[in-house]
Amino acid sequence: FDSHIQYERVGADVTMKCGSMDWDSAVTWTANGTDIDESHLNGSYLILKNVDLSQSGQYSCYEGSSWHLKYQTYLRVGVPPKEPVLMCRSNNYPKGFYCSWHLPTPTYIPNSFNISVIHGTREMVCEKDVFPKNRCHIRYLQLFSTVKYKVTLTVTNALGKSSTTLTFDEFAIVKPDPPESVVAKPVPNNPRRLEVSWQNPSSWPDPESFPLKFFLRYRPLILDQWQHVELSDGTSHTITDAYAGKEYIIQVAAKDNDIGTWSDWSVAVHATPWTEEPKHLTTEAQITETTSTSTSSFMPPPTTKICDKGAVVGSGAVAVCWTAGLVLAAYSILFI
Amino acid sequence: MELRAGDSWGIFTFLCAALCNLPALPALNCTEELGPGHSIQKTYDLTRYLEHQLRTLAGTYLNYLGPPFNEPDFNPPRLARAERVPSATVDLELWRGLTDNARLAANYRAYSRVLCSLRALDAQGTAELRHRLGHFCSSLQGLVLSIAGVMSSLGYPLPAGPPAQPPAQAGAAATNDFLKKMDDFWLLKELQTWLWRSAKDFNRLKKKVPPAVVTLRMEARGF
Repeated sequence: FDSHIQYERVGADVTMKCGSMDWDSAVTWTANGTDIDESHLNGSYLILKNVDLSQSGQYSCYEGSSWHLKYQTYLRVGVPPKEPVLMCRSNNYPKGFYCSWHLPTPTYIPNSFNISVIHGTREMVCEKDVFPKNRCHIRYLQLFSTVKYKVTLTVTNALGKSSTTLTFDEFAIVKPDPPESVVAKPVPNNPRRLEVSWQNPSSWPDPESFPLKFFLRYRPLILDQWQHVELSDGTSHTITDAYAGKEYIIQVAAKDNDIGTWSDWSVAVHATPWTEEPKHLTTEAQITETTSTSTSSFMPPPTTKICDKGAVVGSGAVAVCWTAGLVLAAYSILFI
Repeated sequence: MELRAGDSWGIFTFLCAALCNLPALPALNCTEELGPGHSIQKTYDLTRYLEHQLRTLAGTYLNYLGPPFNEPDFNPPRLARAERVPSATVDLELWRGLTDNARLAANYRAYSRVLCSLRALDAQGTAELRHRLGHFCSSLQGLVLSIAGVMSSLGYPLPAGPPAQPPAQAGAAATNDFLKKMDDFWLLKELQTWLWRSAKDFNRLKKKVPPAVVTLRMEARGF
Protein backbone atom coordinates (compact mmCIF):
# COMPACT_ATOMS: atom_id res chain seq x y z
CA PHE A 1 0.00 0.00 0.00
CA ASP A 2 1.05 3.56 -0.12
CA SER A 3 1.25 6.07 2.66
CA HIS A 4 -0.82 9.17 2.50
CA ILE A 5 -0.63 12.65 3.81
CA GLN A 6 -3.63 14.80 4.41
CA TYR A 7 -4.07 18.39 5.38
CA GLU A 8 -7.03 19.59 7.36
CA ARG A 9 -8.11 22.90 8.74
CA VAL A 10 -8.11 23.63 12.46
CA GLY A 11 -11.66 23.16 13.70
CA ALA A 12 -12.70 20.89 10.86
CA ASP A 13 -14.33 17.47 11.25
CA VAL A 14 -12.19 14.74 9.72
CA THR A 15 -13.37 11.33 8.59
CA MET A 16 -10.73 8.74 7.80
CA LYS A 17 -11.57 5.62 5.91
CA CYS A 18 -9.59 2.48 6.40
CA GLY A 19 -8.50 2.16 2.79
CA SER A 20 -10.69 -0.25 0.88
CA MET A 21 -12.15 -1.92 3.93
CA ASP A 22 -15.93 -2.05 4.21
CA TRP A 23 -17.71 0.13 6.67
CA ASP A 24 -18.67 -2.77 8.86
CA SER A 25 -15.21 -4.34 9.02
CA ALA A 26 -13.57 -4.73 12.36
CA VAL A 27 -10.55 -2.46 12.54
CA THR A 28 -8.29 -0.82 15.05
CA TRP A 29 -6.99 2.66 14.59
CA THR A 30 -3.86 4.02 16.18
CA ALA A 31 -2.57 7.54 16.47
CA ASN A 32 1.22 7.67 16.62
CA GLY A 33 1.21 4.07 17.76
CA THR A 34 -1.35 4.52 20.51
CA ASP A 35 -4.69 2.75 20.16
CA ILE A 36 -7.65 4.98 19.62
CA ASP A 37 -10.75 4.40 21.69
CA GLU A 38 -13.71 2.86 19.88
CA SER A 39 -15.91 5.84 20.75
CA HIS A 40 -14.19 7.72 17.95
CA LEU A 41 -15.18 5.12 15.40
CA ASN A 42 -18.18 5.02 13.16
CA GLY A 43 -17.96 1.49 11.84
CA SER A 44 -14.49 1.30 10.40
CA TYR A 45 -14.28 5.05 9.88
CA LEU A 46 -12.37 7.18 12.27
CA ILE A 47 -14.12 10.41 13.15
CA LEU A 48 -12.17 13.31 14.55
CA LYS A 49 -14.31 16.28 15.41
CA ASN A 50 -13.08 19.85 15.62
CA VAL A 51 -9.43 18.93 15.09
CA ASP A 52 -6.68 20.94 16.71
CA LEU A 53 -2.97 21.15 16.13
CA SER A 54 -2.14 18.52 18.73
CA GLN A 55 -3.98 15.93 16.67
CA SER A 56 -1.44 16.06 13.89
CA GLY A 57 0.35 12.79 13.53
CA GLN A 58 0.44 9.38 11.98
CA TYR A 59 -2.84 7.49 11.87
CA SER A 60 -2.81 3.79 11.08
CA CYS A 61 -5.62 1.33 10.53
CA TYR A 62 -5.18 -2.36 11.25
CA GLU A 63 -7.49 -5.19 10.34
CA GLY A 64 -9.16 -6.53 13.50
CA SER A 65 -7.84 -10.03 13.95
CA SER A 66 -4.87 -10.33 11.61
CA TRP A 67 -3.40 -7.03 12.68
CA HIS A 68 -2.57 -6.29 9.07
CA LEU A 69 -1.77 -2.71 8.33
CA LYS A 70 -4.46 -1.64 5.90
CA TYR A 71 -4.10 2.10 5.69
CA GLN A 72 -1.81 4.76 6.95
CA THR A 73 -1.97 8.50 6.68
CA TYR A 74 -0.15 11.43 8.09
CA LEU A 75 -2.56 14.06 9.33
CA ARG A 76 -1.31 17.64 9.29
CA VAL A 77 -3.64 20.13 10.90
CA GLY A 78 -3.13 23.73 9.87
CA VAL A 79 -4.70 26.90 8.56
CA PRO A 80 -4.83 28.57 5.16
CA PRO A 81 -2.31 31.41 4.80
CA LYS A 82 -3.16 34.94 5.85
CA GLU A 83 -2.10 37.88 3.72
CA PRO A 84 1.71 37.79 3.56
CA VAL A 85 3.93 40.72 4.46
CA LEU A 86 6.04 41.86 1.51
CA MET A 87 8.87 44.34 1.47
CA CYS A 88 11.05 45.51 -1.41
CA ARG A 89 14.15 47.58 -1.05
CA SER A 90 17.14 48.76 -3.01
CA ASN A 91 20.21 48.81 -0.79
CA ASN A 92 22.55 48.54 -3.75
CA TYR A 93 21.27 51.27 -6.08
CA PRO A 94 21.69 51.40 -9.03
CA LYS A 95 22.32 47.66 -9.36
CA GLY A 96 18.83 46.48 -8.49
CA PHE A 97 16.58 45.62 -5.59
CA TYR A 98 15.44 42.72 -3.47
CA CYS A 99 12.12 41.68 -2.04
CA SER A 100 11.59 39.70 1.10
CA TRP A 101 8.46 38.31 2.65
CA HIS A 102 7.02 36.40 5.55
CA LEU A 103 3.72 35.25 6.92
CA PRO A 104 2.32 37.22 9.82
CA THR A 105 1.08 34.04 11.53
CA PRO A 106 2.21 30.44 11.05
CA THR A 107 0.13 27.98 9.07
CA TYR A 108 1.70 24.85 10.64
CA ILE A 109 1.83 23.19 7.24
CA PRO A 110 4.20 23.63 4.31
CA ASN A 111 3.74 26.76 2.15
CA SER A 112 5.03 27.65 -1.24
CA PHE A 113 5.70 31.21 -2.43
CA ASN A 114 5.46 32.58 -5.90
CA ILE A 115 6.65 36.06 -6.73
CA SER A 116 6.04 37.98 -9.93
CA VAL A 117 7.57 41.31 -10.92
CA ILE A 118 6.00 43.34 -13.68
CA HIS A 119 7.57 46.46 -15.09
CA GLY A 120 5.27 48.11 -17.60
CA THR A 121 4.55 45.35 -20.04
CA ARG A 122 7.60 43.28 -19.19
CA GLU A 123 7.64 40.44 -16.69
CA MET A 124 10.96 40.27 -14.88
CA VAL A 125 12.51 37.30 -13.14
CA CYS A 126 13.22 37.70 -9.44
CA GLU A 127 16.04 35.30 -8.63
CA LYS A 128 15.50 33.46 -5.40
CA ASP A 129 18.27 33.82 -2.84
CA VAL A 130 19.74 30.72 -1.28
CA PHE A 131 19.84 32.48 2.04
CA PRO A 132 17.71 33.84 3.49
CA LYS A 133 15.05 31.68 1.91
CA ASN A 134 12.19 34.12 1.63
CA ARG A 135 14.03 36.57 -0.52
CA CYS A 136 14.73 37.22 -4.18
CA HIS A 137 16.63 39.85 -6.09
CA ILE A 138 16.33 41.66 -9.41
CA ARG A 139 18.83 43.50 -11.53
CA TYR A 140 17.77 46.78 -13.04
CA LEU A 141 17.88 46.62 -16.82
CA GLN A 142 17.26 50.33 -17.13
CA LEU A 143 17.80 53.27 -14.87
CA PHE A 144 15.59 56.31 -14.24
CA SER A 145 12.39 54.58 -15.19
CA THR A 146 9.06 56.44 -15.30
CA VAL A 147 7.09 53.24 -15.11
CA LYS A 148 6.40 51.67 -11.74
CA TYR A 149 7.32 48.16 -10.68
CA LYS A 150 4.50 45.88 -9.57
CA VAL A 151 5.47 42.98 -7.32
CA THR A 152 2.92 40.33 -6.44
CA LEU A 153 3.58 37.62 -3.89
CA THR A 154 1.28 34.62 -3.64
CA VAL A 155 1.44 32.14 -0.77
CA THR A 156 -0.17 28.78 -1.33
CA ASN A 157 -0.67 25.76 0.85
CA ALA A 158 -2.96 22.75 0.80
CA LEU A 159 -5.72 24.68 2.53
CA GLY A 160 -5.78 27.93 0.59
CA LYS A 161 -3.88 30.85 -0.82
CA SER A 162 -3.38 34.53 -0.27
CA SER A 163 -1.49 37.27 -2.05
CA THR A 164 -0.32 40.83 -1.71
CA THR A 165 0.94 43.41 -4.19
CA LEU A 166 3.39 46.27 -3.96
CA THR A 167 3.63 49.02 -6.57
CA PHE A 168 6.50 51.47 -6.47
CA ASP A 169 8.79 53.80 -8.37
CA GLU A 170 12.45 52.90 -8.79
CA PHE A 171 13.43 55.80 -6.58
CA ALA A 172 11.03 55.21 -3.76
CA ILE A 173 12.55 51.99 -2.44
CA VAL A 174 16.16 53.15 -2.21
CA LYS A 175 17.38 52.59 1.36
CA PRO A 176 21.04 51.89 1.99
CA ASP A 177 22.38 49.58 4.67
CA PRO A 178 23.68 51.37 7.77
CA PRO A 179 27.24 52.72 7.74
CA GLU A 180 29.91 50.25 8.77
CA SER A 181 32.92 50.28 11.05
CA VAL A 182 31.73 53.20 13.15
CA VAL A 183 34.54 54.24 15.44
CA ALA A 184 34.46 56.93 18.12
CA LYS A 185 37.62 58.06 19.82
CA PRO A 186 38.47 60.70 22.39
CA VAL A 187 40.72 63.55 21.27
CA PRO A 188 43.82 63.96 23.44
CA ASN A 189 43.84 67.17 25.50
CA ASN A 190 40.30 67.98 24.41
CA PRO A 191 37.85 67.09 27.15
CA ARG A 192 34.78 68.06 25.12
CA ARG A 193 35.59 66.39 21.83
CA LEU A 194 34.96 63.03 20.29
CA GLU A 195 36.17 62.02 16.86
CA VAL A 196 33.74 59.80 14.97
CA SER A 197 34.51 58.03 11.72
CA TRP A 198 32.73 55.40 9.65
CA GLN A 199 32.62 53.78 6.25
CA ASN A 200 30.10 53.56 3.46
CA PRO A 201 28.06 50.35 3.68
CA SER A 202 29.82 47.71 1.63
CA SER A 203 26.58 46.84 -0.19
CA TRP A 204 26.47 50.31 -1.82
CA PRO A 205 28.22 49.67 -5.12
CA ASP A 206 29.05 53.13 -6.47
CA PRO A 207 29.47 55.92 -3.90
CA GLU A 208 31.34 58.01 -6.50
CA SER A 209 28.37 58.48 -8.80
CA PHE A 210 25.74 57.92 -6.14
CA PRO A 211 27.12 59.63 -3.06
CA LEU A 212 25.66 59.08 0.36
CA LYS A 213 24.92 61.63 3.00
CA PHE A 214 24.93 60.86 6.70
CA PHE A 215 23.08 61.58 9.88
CA LEU A 216 24.89 61.31 13.17
CA ARG A 217 23.19 61.14 16.55
CA TYR A 218 24.80 61.15 19.95
CA ARG A 219 23.90 61.55 23.58
CA PRO A 220 25.49 60.89 26.94
CA LEU A 221 24.20 57.65 28.45
CA ILE A 222 22.73 59.58 31.35
CA LEU A 223 20.41 61.67 29.15
CA ASP A 224 17.53 60.63 26.88
CA GLN A 225 17.73 63.51 24.42
CA TRP A 226 19.72 62.88 21.22
CA GLN A 227 21.66 65.51 19.40
CA HIS A 228 21.73 65.32 15.61
CA VAL A 229 24.13 66.37 12.90
CA GLU A 230 23.49 65.97 9.18
CA LEU A 231 26.59 65.66 7.02
CA SER A 232 26.43 65.99 3.28
CA ASP A 233 29.85 64.54 2.61
CA GLY A 234 32.79 62.95 4.31
CA THR A 235 32.81 59.94 6.56
CA SER A 236 33.99 61.57 9.76
CA HIS A 237 32.91 64.22 12.18
CA THR A 238 34.22 65.74 15.39
CA ILE A 239 31.76 66.32 18.18
CA THR A 240 32.82 69.48 19.98
CA ASP A 241 30.15 69.88 22.65
CA ALA A 242 30.42 66.68 24.62
CA TYR A 243 30.02 66.91 28.37
CA ALA A 244 33.39 66.28 29.94
CA GLY A 245 33.92 62.88 31.41
CA LYS A 246 30.58 61.42 30.34
CA GLU A 247 30.23 58.23 28.34
CA TYR A 248 28.51 58.80 25.02
CA ILE A 249 26.51 56.57 22.76
CA ILE A 250 26.84 57.38 19.05
CA GLN A 251 25.10 56.12 15.92
CA VAL A 252 25.22 56.96 12.23
CA ALA A 253 22.69 56.51 9.42
CA ALA A 254 23.10 56.88 5.65
CA LYS A 255 20.93 58.01 2.76
CA ASP A 256 21.43 58.49 -0.94
CA ASN A 257 22.09 62.19 -1.42
CA ASP A 258 18.94 62.76 -3.46
CA ILE A 259 16.51 59.85 -3.37
CA GLY A 260 14.97 57.26 -1.11
CA THR A 261 14.95 56.99 2.67
CA TRP A 262 17.38 56.86 5.55
CA SER A 263 19.05 53.60 6.50
CA ASP A 264 18.54 52.03 9.89
CA TRP A 265 20.88 53.28 12.59
CA SER A 266 24.31 51.72 12.68
CA VAL A 267 25.52 49.61 15.55
CA ALA A 268 25.97 51.93 18.53
CA VAL A 269 29.45 52.80 19.68
CA HIS A 270 30.41 54.10 23.06
CA ALA A 271 33.13 56.60 23.86
CA THR A 272 34.11 58.94 26.62
CA PRO A 273 35.94 62.22 25.94
CA TRP A 274 39.52 62.56 27.09
CA THR A 275 39.92 63.50 30.71
CA GLU A 276 43.09 64.51 32.46
CA GLU A 277 44.76 61.75 34.44
CA PRO A 278 43.39 62.04 38.01
CA LYS A 279 46.15 63.12 40.44
CA HIS A 280 47.08 60.56 43.07
CA LEU A 281 44.68 61.15 45.99
CA THR A 282 46.66 61.47 49.22
CA THR A 283 44.84 64.21 51.18
CA GLU A 284 41.23 65.08 52.12
CA ALA A 285 41.59 68.45 50.43
CA GLN A 286 42.47 66.91 47.09
CA ILE A 287 39.49 64.51 47.26
CA THR A 288 37.10 67.42 47.88
CA GLU A 289 38.56 69.34 44.93
CA THR A 290 38.06 66.39 42.56
CA THR A 291 34.45 65.88 43.70
CA SER A 292 33.48 69.51 43.15
CA THR A 293 35.03 69.51 39.65
CA SER A 294 33.05 66.48 38.52
CA THR A 295 29.81 67.93 39.88
CA SER A 296 30.18 71.15 37.91
CA SER A 297 30.78 69.25 34.66
CA PHE A 298 27.68 67.11 35.29
CA MET A 299 25.37 70.11 34.96
CA PRO A 300 24.76 71.47 31.47
CA PRO A 301 26.78 74.68 31.23
CA PRO A 302 24.46 77.54 32.23
CA THR A 303 23.92 80.08 29.47
CA THR A 304 25.17 82.99 31.56
CA LYS A 305 28.64 81.47 31.88
CA ILE A 306 31.00 82.88 29.32
CA CYS A 307 33.75 80.32 29.59
CA ASP A 308 33.45 76.72 30.71
CA LYS A 309 36.28 76.85 33.19
CA GLY A 310 35.42 73.48 34.70
CA ALA A 311 36.13 71.71 31.46
CA VAL A 312 39.50 73.25 30.81
CA VAL A 313 40.92 73.09 34.33
CA GLY A 314 44.38 71.67 34.23
CA SER A 315 44.34 71.13 30.47
CA GLY A 316 46.86 73.81 29.73
CA ALA A 317 45.07 74.59 26.48
CA VAL A 318 43.91 78.05 25.59
CA ALA A 319 40.33 78.44 26.74
CA VAL A 320 38.12 79.17 23.73
CA CYS A 321 35.15 81.20 24.80
CA TRP A 322 32.59 80.10 22.22
CA THR A 323 29.65 81.56 24.09
CA ALA A 324 31.30 84.97 24.36
CA GLY A 325 31.99 85.03 20.67
CA LEU A 326 28.40 84.15 19.79
CA VAL A 327 26.98 86.80 22.12
CA LEU A 328 29.24 89.44 20.58
CA ALA A 329 28.27 88.37 17.06
CA ALA A 330 24.58 88.54 17.93
CA TYR A 331 24.95 92.04 19.35
CA SER A 332 26.87 93.29 16.35
CA ILE A 333 24.19 91.97 13.98
CA LEU A 334 21.50 93.71 16.06
CA PHE A 335 23.28 97.01 15.78
CA ILE A 336 23.99 96.85 12.04
CA MET B 1 11.22 84.20 -5.14
CA GLU B 2 7.74 85.55 -4.92
CA LEU B 3 6.38 86.80 -8.24
CA ARG B 4 3.42 89.02 -8.76
CA ALA B 5 1.10 87.40 -11.28
CA GLY B 6 1.10 90.28 -13.77
CA ASP B 7 4.87 90.76 -14.00
CA SER B 8 5.91 87.15 -14.30
CA TRP B 9 3.35 86.03 -16.90
CA GLY B 10 4.36 88.64 -19.44
CA ILE B 11 8.01 88.03 -18.96
CA PHE B 12 8.02 84.28 -18.98
CA THR B 13 5.67 84.03 -21.94
CA PHE B 14 8.02 86.19 -23.94
CA LEU B 15 11.05 84.27 -22.79
CA CYS B 16 9.44 80.88 -23.42
CA ALA B 17 8.52 82.00 -26.92
CA ALA B 18 12.04 83.25 -27.51
CA LEU B 19 13.55 80.03 -26.24
CA CYS B 20 11.22 77.82 -28.21
CA ASN B 21 11.51 79.60 -31.54
CA LEU B 22 15.09 80.76 -31.69
CA PRO B 23 18.01 78.40 -32.05
CA ALA B 24 20.35 80.94 -30.54
CA LEU B 25 20.69 81.12 -26.83
CA PRO B 26 19.71 84.40 -25.17
CA ALA B 27 22.95 85.98 -23.97
CA LEU B 28 23.88 85.28 -20.41
CA ASN B 29 24.41 88.59 -18.71
CA CYS B 30 27.35 87.51 -16.67
CA THR B 31 29.70 90.21 -15.58
CA GLU B 32 32.39 87.76 -14.51
CA GLU B 33 33.76 84.51 -15.84
CA LEU B 34 32.00 81.47 -14.37
CA GLY B 35 34.06 78.61 -13.05
CA PRO B 36 32.41 75.53 -14.55
CA GLY B 37 32.60 73.66 -11.27
CA HIS B 38 30.69 76.39 -9.49
CA SER B 39 27.98 76.50 -12.15
CA ILE B 40 27.62 72.72 -11.97
CA GLN B 41 26.96 73.00 -8.27
CA LYS B 42 24.45 75.79 -8.90
CA THR B 43 22.72 73.71 -11.59
CA TYR B 44 22.60 70.75 -9.24
CA ASP B 45 21.03 72.94 -6.53
CA LEU B 46 18.47 74.19 -9.06
CA THR B 47 17.40 70.66 -9.94
CA ARG B 48 16.86 69.89 -6.27
CA TYR B 49 14.85 73.08 -5.84
CA LEU B 50 12.73 72.29 -8.90
CA GLU B 51 12.17 68.74 -7.74
CA HIS B 52 10.83 70.11 -4.51
CA GLN B 53 8.64 72.65 -6.32
CA LEU B 54 7.35 69.99 -8.67
CA ARG B 55 5.92 67.94 -5.83
CA THR B 56 3.51 70.74 -4.96
CA LEU B 57 2.80 71.64 -8.57
CA ALA B 58 2.15 68.03 -9.60
CA GLY B 59 -0.16 67.48 -6.65
CA THR B 60 -2.20 70.54 -7.56
CA TYR B 61 -2.27 69.74 -11.25
CA LEU B 62 -3.20 66.08 -10.85
CA ASN B 63 -6.04 67.07 -8.54
CA TYR B 64 -7.18 69.42 -11.25
CA LEU B 65 -7.14 66.54 -13.76
CA GLY B 66 -9.15 64.53 -11.28
CA PRO B 67 -9.38 60.76 -10.79
CA PRO B 68 -7.77 58.43 -11.69
CA PHE B 69 -4.79 60.73 -12.33
CA ASN B 70 -4.56 61.90 -8.73
CA GLU B 71 -4.71 58.41 -7.23
CA PRO B 72 -1.38 57.39 -5.68
CA ASP B 73 -1.41 53.88 -7.16
CA PHE B 74 -2.34 55.01 -10.66
CA ASN B 75 -0.01 53.00 -12.85
CA PRO B 76 -1.23 53.12 -16.44
CA PRO B 77 0.50 51.39 -19.34
CA ARG B 78 2.54 53.65 -21.55
CA LEU B 79 0.62 54.15 -24.78
CA ALA B 80 2.56 54.39 -28.00
CA ARG B 81 2.16 58.09 -28.67
CA ALA B 82 4.48 60.81 -29.88
CA GLU B 83 6.88 61.60 -27.07
CA ARG B 84 6.88 65.26 -26.20
CA VAL B 85 9.97 64.92 -24.06
CA PRO B 86 12.95 62.58 -24.57
CA SER B 87 12.79 59.91 -21.90
CA ALA B 88 15.17 59.97 -18.94
CA THR B 89 15.20 56.17 -18.90
CA VAL B 90 18.52 54.77 -20.02
CA ASP B 91 20.60 51.61 -19.85
CA LEU B 92 22.93 51.73 -16.83
CA GLU B 93 26.21 51.15 -18.65
CA LEU B 94 25.23 53.55 -21.38
CA TRP B 95 24.47 56.20 -18.79
CA ARG B 96 27.78 55.63 -17.06
CA GLY B 97 29.64 55.91 -20.34
CA LEU B 98 28.09 59.20 -21.46
CA THR B 99 30.60 61.93 -22.24
CA ASP B 100 30.19 65.18 -20.32
CA ASN B 101 28.98 66.82 -23.51
CA ALA B 102 26.37 64.16 -24.20
CA ARG B 103 25.25 64.18 -20.60
CA LEU B 104 24.75 67.93 -20.51
CA ALA B 105 23.15 68.01 -23.96
CA ALA B 106 20.61 65.37 -22.95
CA ASN B 107 19.61 67.45 -19.94
CA TYR B 108 19.45 70.63 -21.97
CA ARG B 109 17.26 69.10 -24.66
CA ALA B 110 14.92 67.48 -22.18
CA TYR B 111 14.28 70.59 -20.10
CA SER B 112 13.89 72.81 -23.16
CA ARG B 113 11.17 70.54 -24.44
CA VAL B 114 9.51 70.30 -21.03
CA LEU B 115 9.44 74.08 -20.81
CA CYS B 116 7.57 74.39 -24.11
CA SER B 117 5.18 71.59 -23.21
CA LEU B 118 4.43 73.02 -19.79
CA ARG B 119 3.55 76.32 -21.37
CA ALA B 120 1.01 74.48 -23.52
CA LEU B 121 -0.44 72.72 -20.50
CA ASP B 122 -4.15 73.19 -20.18
CA ALA B 123 -4.37 75.30 -17.05
CA GLN B 124 -7.93 76.50 -17.13
CA GLY B 125 -8.03 75.64 -13.48
CA THR B 126 -7.78 77.99 -10.57
CA ALA B 127 -5.70 81.13 -10.50
CA GLU B 128 -3.56 79.39 -7.92
CA LEU B 129 -2.72 76.63 -10.41
CA ARG B 130 -1.85 79.11 -13.14
CA HIS B 131 0.31 81.03 -10.70
CA ARG B 132 2.17 77.90 -9.60
CA LEU B 133 2.68 76.86 -13.20
CA GLY B 134 4.01 80.29 -14.08
CA HIS B 135 6.39 80.29 -11.17
CA PHE B 136 7.60 76.82 -12.02
CA CYS B 137 8.24 77.75 -15.65
CA SER B 138 10.36 80.68 -14.54
CA SER B 139 12.47 78.44 -12.34
CA LEU B 140 12.69 75.81 -15.07
CA GLN B 141 13.92 78.40 -17.49
CA GLY B 142 16.58 79.33 -14.97
CA LEU B 143 17.68 75.70 -15.03
CA VAL B 144 17.88 75.62 -18.83
CA LEU B 145 20.00 78.76 -18.82
CA SER B 146 22.18 77.34 -16.08
CA ILE B 147 22.84 74.16 -18.08
CA ALA B 148 23.61 76.29 -21.12
CA GLY B 149 26.03 78.27 -19.01
CA VAL B 150 27.86 75.13 -17.94
CA MET B 151 28.05 73.89 -21.51
CA SER B 152 29.45 77.11 -22.87
CA SER B 153 31.98 77.45 -20.05
CA LEU B 154 33.21 73.95 -20.92
CA GLY B 155 33.33 74.84 -24.59
CA TYR B 156 30.48 72.59 -25.75
CA PRO B 157 28.09 73.72 -28.47
CA LEU B 158 24.46 74.02 -27.53
CA PRO B 159 22.11 71.50 -29.12
CA ALA B 160 19.76 72.92 -31.74
CA GLY B 161 16.49 74.29 -30.39
CA PRO B 162 13.38 72.12 -30.26
CA PRO B 163 11.52 71.65 -33.59
CA ALA B 164 8.91 74.31 -34.21
CA GLN B 165 5.70 72.75 -33.05
CA PRO B 166 2.27 74.26 -32.83
CA PRO B 167 1.87 74.95 -29.12
CA ALA B 168 -1.50 73.21 -29.02
CA GLN B 169 -0.83 69.49 -29.14
CA ALA B 170 -2.28 68.70 -32.57
CA GLY B 171 -5.86 67.95 -33.61
CA ALA B 172 -5.92 64.26 -32.75
CA ALA B 173 -5.09 64.72 -29.09
CA ALA B 174 -7.41 67.68 -28.62
CA THR B 175 -10.46 65.65 -29.61
CA ASN B 176 -9.97 63.09 -26.83
CA ASP B 177 -10.03 64.72 -23.45
CA PHE B 178 -8.91 61.62 -21.58
CA LEU B 179 -5.90 61.01 -23.82
CA LYS B 180 -4.86 64.60 -23.46
CA LYS B 181 -4.95 64.22 -19.68
CA MET B 182 -2.88 61.06 -20.01
CA ASP B 183 -0.32 63.02 -22.01
CA ASP B 184 -0.19 65.65 -19.27
CA PHE B 185 0.18 62.94 -16.64
CA TRP B 186 3.15 61.41 -18.45
CA LEU B 187 4.71 64.83 -19.02
CA LEU B 188 4.79 65.45 -15.28
CA LYS B 189 6.07 61.92 -14.65
CA GLU B 190 8.83 62.34 -17.21
CA LEU B 191 9.77 65.71 -15.72
CA GLN B 192 9.91 64.23 -12.23
CA THR B 193 12.15 61.42 -13.48
CA TRP B 194 14.42 63.87 -15.28
CA LEU B 195 14.87 65.91 -12.10
CA TRP B 196 15.89 62.74 -10.24
CA ARG B 197 18.21 61.78 -13.04
CA SER B 198 19.76 65.26 -13.29
CA ALA B 199 20.79 65.13 -9.65
CA LYS B 200 22.82 62.03 -10.51
CA ASP B 201 24.08 63.50 -13.80
CA PHE B 202 25.35 66.61 -12.06
CA ASN B 203 26.87 64.59 -9.23
CA ARG B 204 28.97 62.80 -11.84
CA LEU B 205 29.90 66.06 -13.53
CA LYS B 206 30.84 67.61 -10.19
CA LYS B 207 33.41 64.89 -9.61
CA LYS B 208 34.99 65.43 -13.00
CA VAL B 209 35.18 69.22 -12.91
CA PRO B 210 36.60 70.65 -9.68
CA PRO B 211 34.79 73.77 -8.42
CA ALA B 212 36.65 77.04 -9.07
CA VAL B 213 36.32 79.78 -6.47
CA VAL B 214 34.73 82.52 -8.57
CA THR B 215 31.92 84.88 -7.71
CA LEU B 216 28.85 84.51 -9.85
CA ARG B 217 26.97 87.62 -10.76
CA MET B 218 24.02 87.43 -13.09
CA GLU B 219 21.93 90.42 -13.95
CA ALA B 220 18.40 89.83 -12.83
CA ARG B 221 15.98 89.42 -15.70
CA GLY B 222 13.00 90.91 -13.97
CA PHE B 223 12.71 88.02 -11.55
